[in-house]
Amino acid sequence: MSTLHLLSHSPFGDDRLTSCLRVIGAEDALLLSGDAAYALQPGTAPFNVLGTRGLKVFVLAEDVQARSLPTPDWAEAIDYPAFVELSIHYDKVNSWL
Amino acid sequence: MNSLMVGARAIELDKDGFLVELSDWSLEVASALAAAEDIDLSPEHWEILQLLRSFYDEFQLSPATRPLIKYTALKLGPEKGNSLHLNRLFKGTPAKLAAKLAGLPKPTNCL
Amino acid sequence: MPKSLLIISRQSPWSGSSAREALDIVLAGGAFDLPIGLLFLDDGVFQLAAKQDARTLQQKDLSANLQALPMFGVEALFVCGDSAAERGLDPNTLSLEEIQVLAAPEITALIDRYHQVITL
Repeated sequence: MSTLHLLSHSPFGDDRLTSCLRVIGAEDALLLSGDAAYALQPGTAPFNVLGTRGLKVFVLAEDVQARSLPTPDWAEAIDYPAFVELSIHYDKVNSWL
Repeated sequence: MNSLMVGARAIELDKDGFLVELSDWSLEVASALAAAEDIDLSPEHWEILQLLRSFYDEFQLSPATRPLIKYTALKLGPEKGNSLHLNRLFKGTPAKLAAKLAGLPKPTNCL
Repeated sequence: MPKSLLIISRQSPWSGSSAREALDIVLAGGAFDLPIGLLFLDDGVFQLAAKQDARTLQQKDLSANLQALPMFGVEALFVCGDSAAERGLDPNTLSLEEIQVLAAPEITALIDRYHQVITL
């Protein structure tokens, strides 16, 4: 069963992203919301890891816009209706609270 | 605040009749709590109350019904560790009522 | 058949209410006979350290509560081996004896197997 992993904490000074990347499956996807979007800051360790893992990565468009972050070609910026669709598309959602 | 008179002492109870101070519990307090529920404690009741107290000692929590049954079966055998026996002793709500009489906190997982 | 639920507990027992909340969900699920599993990940493995003593902190002892899991019918207990090793915990001395130590790929498969997952 596929899982949509939902992160909302900054990857700097928090190990949720590291931990999530350790257990995420090939059929799974990652959705960055809130401060988790900072993982898209170019040139940083989280950015480099995500860029080379070949995972499906989504990010909320309003969160990257608010934080002046680019959306790299390996990530897809989405709006809330698309977020809802994604959470239905995957068998379950795992929110890293 | 509710209270229960045991001899000359007033024992504090919460709104559901559970002891506020768990250390207030004694055999006399248990009998008085039982009397307030129209239960006359028999040796079969005492056995379960003692069992509950050892459960709390071991796990630091009050059991819900299923774990109470399982623990009773483990310690006293299946002829006592079943819902029929426990329901008969404690008016159909063994986890809640027996915890009250044993001086344990209200079971939180007894939804 | 009710949906299966995996709880991932990843906070230390002393860092707020998260570890207790995760355990409360598991105990409630177990009391209702739900197919429920519990995985200790990251700092959550510290919940399993032996000989913890909460008396001077005047807190309830979570490790005593953990021992009640089998009584609540919860037998699907897992710990991330890497998390334990990184934190200097020997998987053989953890306070829950009947716990399965899993490597990362096994955790991926575990999460995959459950219908719902809650990470706290």
